[in-house]
Parts: sequence; structure tokens; C-alpha cells
Amino acid sequence: MKVQNKTKKNRYFQEEKNEKPKKSDSSTDVQVFNIKITPHTIKKQRFKEARIVKNVVKRERDVKFPGKAPIDPSSLERHSRGEGLQGRGVRHPLYALKLKKKENKYKYAQEQAARAEILLTEDQGLIEVGEGEKTTAVSQKIIAENVDIAAATKIFDLKLDFGPYRAKYSRNGRHLLLGSKQGHLAAFDWVTKKLHCEINVMESIHDISWLHVETMIAVAQKEWLYIYDNTGTELHCVKKMDKILRMEFLPYHFLLAAVNEYGFMTWLDISIGEIVGHYNNRIGRTTVMTQNPYNATICLGNSKGVVSLWAPNVKEPLAKILCHKTPLTAIAVDNRGMYMATSGVDRSMKIWDIRNLDGPLQHYKLRTPPVDLNFSQKEMLAVGLGDVVEIYNNCCSQTTEKPYLRHRMAKSICNFNFCPYEDVLGVGTSSGFTSIIVPGSGEPNFDALESNPFQNKKQRKEAEVKALLEKIPAELITLDPFDVMQVDVPSMKDQMEAKKKLLHIKPKNVDFTPRHKNKGKTNIARKKIIKSAMRKEIIDQAIEAQKMLEEPQKEKESAPKQSFGVLDRFVPKIKSKK
Amino acid sequence: MEEIEDVDFVSSEHDRLLNAVTKLDKTQHITEPTRNEPTNTNSEFNLIKRSNKLNLKNVAKVLENKAHHVKISKKLKESQNSSKILPKPIEKPEAERIKRSTGYQHTKHKIGRWDPVVARNRTVNFVSFPLKRVSSKLQPTHEFLSKLKLKSPLERELDEVDPPIPEVPDEEEKPEYPMSYEEMLEHRRQLAKLRAQQSYKAAKAKRQSKIKSKKYHRILKKDKLKQQLKEFEELQSKDPEEALKKLESLEKARALERHTLRHKNTGKWAKSKLIRAKYDKEVRQQLAEQLAVSKSLTHKTVDAASSDDDDDTKQENPDLKLLQDPTNPWMMKRSDKDNVDSEFDFGYKKYLKDKMLKRKELSDSESEDEKAGSSTKSNNAMNILKKSVNTLSENVYETHDKTAINKANEQPKRKKSKLSEKKLSNKEDKVGANTKIVATISNWSVEPVNIDQGNASEDISNIFESFENKLADKVTKKLNKLKKDLDKTKTKPKLQNKKETLKPKKEYGVEYYEFKKQNEKPIIDEPLLETTGKTNDVETETKSLTKILTTETQENPNANIDPSRFIVVKPKYLNTALPKDVNEYDELDDDEQVVPKIDIEEVFEEDDVVDSFRQEKEDEINKDKPQDIDLSLPGWGQWGGKGVKAPKRRKTRFILKAPPCTPRRDENKGDIIIKEYKDPKLAVHKVSDVPFPFKSIKDYEASLRVPLGNTFITEKAHKKLIQPNVLTKAGTIIQPMDEDELLIRKHQQFNNDPIIKLLGQK
Repeated sequence: MKVQNKTKKNRYFQEEKNEKPKKSDSSTDVQVFNIKITPHTIKKQRFKEARIVKNVVKRERDVKFPGKAPIDPSSLERHSRGEGLQGRGVRHPLYALKLKKKENKYKYAQEQAARAEILLTEDQGLIEVGEGEKTTAVSQKIIAENVDIAAATKIFDLKLDFGPYRAKYSRNGRHLLLGSKQGHLAAFDWVTKKLHCEINVMESIHDISWLHVETMIAVAQKEWLYIYDNTGTELHCVKKMDKILRMEFLPYHFLLAAVNEYGFMTWLDISIGEIVGHYNNRIGRTTVMTQNPYNATICLGNSKGVVSLWAPNVKEPLAKILCHKTPLTAIAVDNRGMYMATSGVDRSMKIWDIRNLDGPLQHYKLRTPPVDLNFSQKEMLAVGLGDVVEIYNNCCSQTTEKPYLRHRMAKSICNFNFCPYEDVLGVGTSSGFTSIIVPGSGEPNFDALESNPFQNKKQRKEAEVKALLEKIPAELITLDPFDVMQVDVPSMKDQMEAKKKLLHIKPKNVDFTPRHKNKGKTNIARKKIIKSAMRKEIIDQAIEAQKMLEEPQKEKESAPKQSFGVLDRFVPKIKSKK
Repeated sequence: MEEIEDVDFVSSEHDRLLNAVTKLDKTQHITEPTRNEPTNTNSEFNLIKRSNKLNLKNVAKVLENKAHHVKISKKLKESQNSSKILPKPIEKPEAERIKRSTGYQHTKHKIGRWDPVVARNRTVNFVSFPLKRVSSKLQPTHEFLSKLKLKSPLERELDEVDPPIPEVPDEEEKPEYPMSYEEMLEHRRQLAKLRAQQSYKAAKAKRQSKIKSKKYHRILKKDKLKQQLKEFEELQSKDPEEALKKLESLEKARALERHTLRHKNTGKWAKSKLIRAKYDKEVRQQLAEQLAVSKSLTHKTVDAASSDDDDDTKQENPDLKLLQDPTNPWMMKRSDKDNVDSEFDFGYKKYLKDKMLKRKELSDSESEDEKAGSSTKSNNAMNILKKSVNTLSENVYETHDKTAINKANEQPKRKKSKLSEKKLSNKEDKVGANTKIVATISNWSVEPVNIDQGNASEDISNIFESFENKLADKVTKKLNKLKKDLDKTKTKPKLQNKKETLKPKKEYGVEYYEFKKQNEKPIIDEPLLETTGKTNDVETETKSLTKILTTETQENPNANIDPSRFIVVKPKYLNTALPKDVNEYDELDDDEQVVPKIDIEEVFEEDDVVDSFRQEKEDEINKDKPQDIDLSLPGWGQWGGKGVKAPKRRKTRFILKAPPCTPRRDENKGDIIIKEYKDPKLAVHKVSDVPFPFKSIKDYEASLRVPLGNTFITEKAHKKLIQPNVLTKAGTIIQPMDEDELLIRKHQQFNNDPIIKLLGQK
């Protein structure tokens, strides 16, 4: 068994692209295009040929210094920001040229970003086994024996006595926070095992969360929300947020989103200590909550199997998805905000396309209802089943047959989290905390300016200031995070209408075609279109057939016609239906 | 004398009679003074200004009816026809307008030169000032030293021959403070004094200029004159030459003064004469003389080299002159002029006259015949040339041999030279050749008189050379053309042979006409496209028709749909581990597909979950939908009661239909509700207008798509994107552009016409 590098796998839509050219290669007949040949096209063609010749000559000349290394088109595509400027919607040739130059700069930026990928030196690992063997057979013990000593220390077990524990990692994956139902709260650097603080709050702890830095902890206790520092000193007691069941911290918005026993949602801006949003979600008590890191919405699962997405300044759900027919047990959204995994009491697990709000993409039936779900940075899905954790690899874009890893513990699972930038899964259990290694789960390359596992005090302070400066206002939380970049078309139309009514003002001529078209690529839309197309086709065929059958009869009818001479005009004519 | 007196008497009698007759008519006629017979008596009271314009027609009238003047009159007419009268100067406003327009054009052109420069600077990524930069690049030592050279041996020799002027050492450096304190003070004082004096003098001059007294001025003038005379006398003794000049200038000043019409009849003498002139003939004559003198002085001398026609008229003028009388003041001027003319009648004029005479002779006798001959000769030569060229071309077609062509090329040249030799034999021929070569048809007038034989031959040879060159050029051109044709014909078969090899190129061409990025058609569309193709099949097979009819609901097997993508995802049964407390399926193989026997989930399922969710969605959709407005009044205009239905027409008539609402985002998404809402808090952050250069939302949004911050893109790209348009170097003076900018190649090569045009218009 080895921990080996894994080649990046394509997603479903990428595969499709690869297939298509193959088809065209295999088919020998040439596609024919009817194109009007204009002098312009001929000119263009000539120019192109000349350029090709020139390029060839250039290449021959510059063998010694071939210039910059070519960029992998796929990586270029990864850094693309979408379709560029077409240049037709610009009024003034001068500005058109300027924008074209700007466009070149954007292209340069994209290329630079693609080139910078060379700096991502580390690769994702993977467990590889011989033929006939299974990866699930690889236990933590075997892994510990095979990895280096430093990595082996990441497998550990904490036996703690204060009931079921919830565990959360800090954003840079260096620190771990444990909170037990019986009031035990501990924060420590789990890599060095250095304890920051350990207290018993003498109340039940329902949820815990790191704030933007590792020096602050939010703890949802029996009555109120408390904020401690890393030495265990109580900093705040937020009495506006009471009886909280679950919390999520949105790092870019500095928001602490919480839902309480009575179904009230509260959004606390921790940078200014203000409550940004507070309303009742009207779905009752729920402990199923997660955040969507793509657009910072909060996903709540309720007892009717509906997942609803929430933003602080809209008092109704932004979207609702009926996922299961039974109460939900867990939700997880992956790091990129592409997939959402939900599980219900009906022992099923579904994967949804949360970005397009479509799905389900996958539907799995399990043998027991999952307790918790969690996505790793590399889209591995951990499923907690009683006292077993199963980790699935590649379960979103394609249906998996079997789990990638399985870890069985002697205690029931409370929650678990993948550690960012580490191949580690931390499981909070009924009697402590267990850390296991899941090869290939974490992001191998970290951006030190984004989140640095090796951050020192000064860097932390610097990062804090920078993060505060780049804080995103809470109003911008919407389903589409790029909403801000789009023109507010309805209000623009209103304004134009108002202007049209004014005298002596020439109305603007604006092209309203949106940049991103919703092409109706959802499954259901496709199905509908196909269905209707098929129906139409069959109906057409049927009509044709009917006609064909009727025609000979008509001929027979028309052949023997009696003639009455002049009196023909009085013979009633049969109206032909059209 | 008696006869004359008689005539006088008769005329006077006649005049009296006429006067008597006119007196009968009581109306007063102011008659324009007319010129009578030239008489000694000439009243100065009749002097009025007349235009000097000579009406040629009137002059020519005299020539009529006289046989020996016919020729002259003819000539006169000819000259009148051929000569062009200079156009009348345009009126001032129009002239100004023209001036303005031409000025505008000029300045426009001048400023237009800057258009590409401006346009480029506007479009370029950034402009850095100051524009002119002294390159701060340090030269490498060897490069610097290479410029310092010892003198070459030639230079040294030259120096020996002509020793260079030793450089004048620079003037001694000026001391930092050129004057001491006292000196400076003195200097300042002097300057102040000078200024004060200046201002006094200016004030005095101003005051004096304002004095209006005539007497004062007269005295002033006299004083000045006296002073000048004194100076003149002084000069006479000292420097006679200078004195002469002085005298001249004095005279000139006086003449200028007298020349002004001011003093025509203001002098004492003139006044006295005027009084007497009424009664004294002699006095009258004197006065007339005086007038004539003044007129002759003021008359503008005519430019001698104006035109031939003028000369002609002048020649005739003396003949025209009748009854010359020295006492006639009007005639005096003319006689003077004639004298002057005769004086000037040498050199150019004489030459011209001679020429005219000669030409006439030539034209009469020989020249025409000769010209005709020459033209025929030239035609002959051309024909020969053409023939030779034709033969050449034939040769080329036949042989493709270059040498032969060259030989053939030489042949016409030789012929030509022979021809020229022949022509050189006599002068007339030469003239003919001359005309023929330079311009075969035009009536080129060449003067054969003054040309030396040798010179002429040289010229002619030159001309022939040039002609030969021309011919050679023509021939070579033609040859080239022929060669090309030949090449083409040669390559044609090759092309045919190489058709196979050319094929890929053609294919490439086809490729070109293909779309660069083929739009990947959604698979959905394919069955729709195929419907027409299907029907053909259907027509032929009548048996299958019934089948189709019967099985309408059956799916078309040929539809190009990937079923796996669209079919509802089937649940995949995963063989997950079971927690310890559940011991049902312990120790199972992973590969086995386990399907539970009992659907336990059904126990948990709430039946109404789906229905209630769909109901919710329906409600959500309906909530936003604008409702139809029913304007009909219940019971109005209709029968009431049970079972009575309102007519259809009325229903449609009184219901205002709501506008169709935009499709919802969750329209085709099944059990998903997406709330359509407008968040006013978010709307604050959004743009609700498309700014200036954009006219489509798509492009505007595309221009916003890339973040500029260095947290999102690489530092290099970030720096590039936030670079300011104008860079200025701190602490430097930024000079305006000078014309050197026009010479920079980048500016010259900038040829984005729409932009140049647009900026130029501004």
C-alpha cells in the first residue's frame, strides 16, 4: 500500500468535451458548411495564411529562444473570468480601443494566474492498493505504520469524560476546539498538542465556533451565547442570542449566524458587535445547519425534508429544496459551493447541484441513517453512521460503488470535521475526540495570505487587519455572489421609462441582453423539452400516416364522378378541411 | 492762314447758331466738356479728371475705310481676341472670404498633422512625461573610448598643409559679482537719469504735436530748413561727397513736398496767374505747362516688360498720333513717353521685334512644309519601332531565347541611330528631328538662330540617348511580361501534376470556412431536426404507418438522447457499515448489492410532504403573478338567476388581462422554490445605469468581470492594471510637445483611422 499522487480527474462535463473530438476524428466524412464567400472572408483568409507562414518562419528562427513556456489550456480555462468584451456595445471607437487594450491586460492577468500554478508544488495523496484488495481494508493502524512519524502523530484519540463532544477546527486548520454537552470546553493546538485553555462552563454547551482568529471562541451555552478568548477568559455574554442550537461563522462577512430553539435566526456582526439580522425562520426547531462557503448563505434542514437557504437581510428563505420525504439528519456543502449532500431518516443520501439549484445528481441508499456529513477540501465526503465513519471519494459527479475509507470506533459519533490543509478527519464522539488520517482529503497547497497554518502572531495581526478592511457587507449575501457585478435591469428600465416621459430628452438605446444566459440546462428542463419534442414528432408522424392512409380512398372517391352537364354547378361541393 | 481763319469764322458762326438754338430750350444742360480741335486756348476751368483708359475701338475706328491700314486693323483685332484681359480684382469682402478659407485650409492641414500624435497618445496605455528623455544609460568603457580616436594619417597630412585655427580660449570667466556696490549704485543712478530724460522728451514731443497753430508750424519748418542748410554748408567745406548726398536728400524732400497735390494752385505765382489767365493767353499757356509738368511727374511709369501686346500697341501709337502740337498739354506727355520708349528700345525689346519679324517670314515660306515632313518622318520611325517590337514578341513566343531577344533589342537602336545621323546632315532636318523627338505633334517653337552647331549636335545626341533609354525600358517591360506569361504556361502543367499535393491546402481552406468554435448543439435539438428525414421513410412504408398509429406513445428508438443523463437518478444501494448495535447484516462483502427487504423509510415518510411543498410552490408563483382585473359589474346588463351563464363575449370584454410575467427561475426545476425578490439593501450597491461608452449591458458587465486587487490576481498583473494613464517624473518641467513628436515613427505609423477622424473632428 502506498500513499501516491493522484492525477486530477475530470468532471462530468469535461469528459463530454473529450469525447466529442474523438467522434469527429473517427468519422471520415467532412462536415459541410454553407458559407457565403465575400471579399472580406477571402481577405481574412489570405491574411491568416500569411500570418501562418510568418509564424512558421519565426518559429524556425527562434529555435534557440522559443520564448515563454506555453500555458496549459485547461489551467487557463480554470482562471477564466467568463466571456470578455465583444466590442459591439461600445459607443466610441476610442473607448473601444481602450477597452480592447484593457481586455488584453485581463488576458495577461489570466495567463499570469495560470502560470502561477507552477508554484503549487504539492499534490494530493491517495491510497492505492493491489489487485483484489480494498481500500476499506486499510485501517488507521496500517496507515500509521506506513506514514512518517510526524504524520503518524496525527492519529490520536482523546478520552474525555464529559459526554458527547463537538469539535471544530480553526480556519487555518491549526487549532481545535472541543465543547461537550456537559460543559467541557477546550481549545488547543492539535498539531503540537499545546493546550490554550480548558474550562468547564458549568452549563450545557450546544455548539462552539472559532471566530476570525484563534484567540476568540464563541460558545452557545444553555442560555446565552458567550465569547471567550484563548485563555478561557469570558469576553462577552451576548444575551440577545439565547438558547442557540447551532452556529456558523462566515469569515469574510464577520458574521456569526445562529439558529435557536424557537427557530429564530440571528446574524451577529462580530466586528462591530451588531445584530444584522434577526427573524423567525418558521420551520421549527432544527439542529441541521451548515454554511455554503460559495455565497455565504446558511442552509437549514427541517423535519419535513426541506433544505432552505437563508441570508441575513431577507426574512424568507432565498430558496427551498425538497430533498427528502423524511426529516433531515445532516447537510454538507462542499468548499467550492458546487455540491450539497443531504441525508434523511429514510437512510438515503442525495447529492445536489447547489450552485444551479438542481438535482439530485446522486441518490444513495444507505443501511443506516447518517448522523453527520462533511465535505473535505478535496471533495471527499465523510458519512457518520452510528459509530462508523465512512469516507467516499468522488461521490458527487459519479456514483461510487463503495467507500474509500472506513473507520470504526467503539463510541457513537457526535460530529466531525475535516481539518483544512491536512489529511485529517477529527471526530467528536460521545467519549472524547478521535483524529484519523484520510489520505488525499486536504488541500495540499495553502495560500499564506489567505489562511496560513504556520502563522505567527504578527502575521495573524496583519491578516486580521487586512480581513477587516476587506470585510464584505452583509447585504451582499445572495444566492449569486456575483449579483453585485450585474446591472440592476428592472430599476434601470424604470428609470428609462421615467426619462422617456420627459420632453426634449433623447432616450438611450441600450441592449439589455444579459451576460449570463440561463440556458435551461437543468435536468428537468431538458426532460421537458425532450418530452415535448418527442411528442410533437410522434404526432407529426401519426398525422402523416393518417394522410397516407386516407389518400388512396380519396382517389377512389374522386374517380367516378357523375356529370350533369350544365347542372353541375348545383352539385354540392365538399369542403376540404385545412 | 486765311483758309484757317475762314474755317474758324464758319465754325464760330455755326457755334453761335447752335447756341441760339439751344437757348430756345429753357432747360439747362450741363454739357460735359469735350475735346475740340487742338487749340492754344485751353481753359483750366474745364480740367476734370478723366480715366486714362484707352478705348481701343475708338482708336481703331480711325483705321476704317483705308486700304493700307487693313493689315494693321486686322492685327489689332487679332491681338484683341488673343489677349486676355486681366480679371477685375475681386471685391474686398469676397477676397477676404477667400483669404479666410484658404487660411483655414492651411491651418487645418497644419494642425491635422498632429491628429495621429494626439490619437495615439489618447489610446496608448500610458504616457510618461517629460516626453524627451536624456538616456541615462552609462556607456561601457570600451565604447566610450572607441569614440576618442587619434587623427588618421590623412588628417594629419591635411593638418600640415592647412594648419587648423587654434581654438580661441574662452573668455575669462566673469567674476561672480561684476560690479562693486558703489559701481552698482552709480549705474543705477545713470539709468534712472536716462529714463527721466526720455520721459521728459516724450512729454515734450507729445505737447508739441498737439499744437495746432499754423504760424508755429511754419516757423518750425523754416527753422528746420535753415538748420539743414547750415549743416549742408558746413558739410560742403568738410566733405563734399556727403554734402552732395545731403543736397540730394534735401531736394528729394522738397520734391516730395511739392509733389503732393497740395501746392498745385496755392502758390503766390499760381494764384496771380489764375486771376490773369482769364484775360491773357500767355498766362493761360504758362499755367497749362505747369499742369502738364505736374501731371508728367505724377504719372506712373508703365512697366516695360509687361506683355507683347502692349508693345505692339505702343509701336502703333506714334503712327496714330495726329496733329502733334508742342503746346498741347495733353499731347506733350505722349511725346515725352515716346522719347523714353525710343531710349529704351534696345536689348530685349529689340530682340523681340526682330524675332517677330523673322517668324513672320518663316511662317510665310518654309516652316509649315518642314513640320509636315518631320511629322511624317517621326511616324515612319514609330512604325518601324512597332514592327521591330512585334517581331521581337513573335521571336519570344517561338524561341524563349534571351540572347536572341537582346540582339533584336539592339537592332532598332541601330536603326534609330542611323536615322539620327542622316538627320544631322542639314539644319532644317535637325530642327525637324528636334521637334519630333521632344514632342512629336506639338508646335514647339525652337529658335534655330543662335544655336551653335556643336551644341546642337550634343543636345540632339542627348535627346536620342534618352529616347533610346525609353525604348529600351519599354522593350524590357514587354519582355518581362512575356516571361511571366511563359512562366505561367510552364507552371500550369506542374500545377496539374501537383494537384494531389495541393489537396491538403484546399482542405485547409475548407477548414477555414468552418466555424472556429463549433457551437455544440444541445442534444435536445437533434430529434427535432430529424423529423423531416423520418417522414420520407414513413412515406415509403405504409405498413409501418399503422404500427406508428397504434403505438403513438412509444418512444422513438432512434432519438439521439443519452438516457442515462436524463432519467431520474435511481437510488444506488451502498453497502455501508452498520453500527455495532445493529447486528442484522454484519460482516457483508462490499461488492454485494444489498437491497433491504422491508422499506423502513416508508414508515417515516410523510405522505403529504411532497404535496404540501408543491402547494407552497404554487402559492409562491401565484403570489407574484399579476391578477386579471374583472371590470364587469355583477348583475349589470344580464339576466340573473340560477343556471344563467354570462355570455362569452362579455366575459372577455370586461376583463383586463394582466401582462405576462417574466419566467421564474424555478420554473423548470421541480421541487425547488427560488424566491423572486428585490432587496433594496442590495440594490443600493448595484449599478442601475450603463455608463457612457457602453450601450449594452453585456459589454459593461464584461468590463467589470476582473477584480483588480492583488488578493485576487498576481502582483504583476495588478500593477499593470492599476497603472495610471499619465506618468510624470517628479521635479521636472514638462514642456509642451514640439514638432519633433511628428517625426517619431510610432506616431507616423499610427493608422487607426476612425479614432484619428473622431479626434480630428473635435
